[in-house]
Amino acid sequence: MFNEKYETLVYKLFMQNKNPLSPHLQIYKWQISSLLSITHRIVGVINFFAITLICLWTLTLLLGQNNYQTIQIFLNTIFGKFAVISLCWTFSFHILNEIRHLIWDAGYGFDLKISKITGIIALVGSFVLTILFYFIGRNFF
Amino acid sequence: MHVSTKKWLFTKISSLILIPLMFWFLMSFVSIYDKEFFEIIGFFSNQPSKILFSVFLVVAFFFSALTISEIFEDYLHDDRIKNVANKALYLFAILIPLLTILGIYTI
Repeated sequence: MFNEKYETLVYKLFMQNKNPLSPHLQIYKWQISSLLSITHRIVGVINFFAITLICLWTLTLLLGQNNYQTIQIFLNTIFGKFAVISLCWTFSFHILNEIRHLIWDAGYGFDLKISKITGIIALVGSFVLTILFYFIGRNFF
Repeated sequence: MHVSTKKWLFTKISSLILIPLMFWFLMSFVSIYDKEFFEIIGFFSNQPSKILFSVFLVVAFFFSALTISEIFEDYLHDDRIKNVANKALYLFAILIPLLTILGIYTI
């Protein structure tokens, strides 16, 4: 009798999708693995919007030189340069963390210590790669 | 092959193709973003920039659509909303690169 009622209750909760959730991000202590995992997702979404903006930037070229001037002025301001450097970082981070994921997919780097080291390399490396991208692109070398 | 396995394989293959294209695009973009109108037009109307940029856009939107649909899978619990969100995402990921590629081929 009890089992039947309990099963009905569980079924009703399941159908209403009100079953309890497991502890989420705010419950766990932050670690390099969780930090990089959520940052990878956020940066992926930012890159999606960034590439869309780049498409719009390309399409504004079709509007002619006069209409393009406003965008050119913005890109030459400090905010424009900041946006470009930020894009360098989001791309750099995504490249390095994606390489880390591909190494995992190949079956390597699962050891906890190695995973932490590769995580730190991806994070620190993203800043180094940002500087390299910017300086190589601007012909500083 | 299971549909999820296919999706995973496509994500991994596209990410492998995307990495060198991201390197190329970022260095090219940094070198031209603040240049004069005609210099940027010159960049997009010459090869190999034209073809590389087109491939970059197709692969980047393909990869993004696959990975963002995974985010929808994790955070959207209503099947109808998830379905609409996925369809809107796929439509966006086809239209935007298509329009841009058509745009640069008319420059």
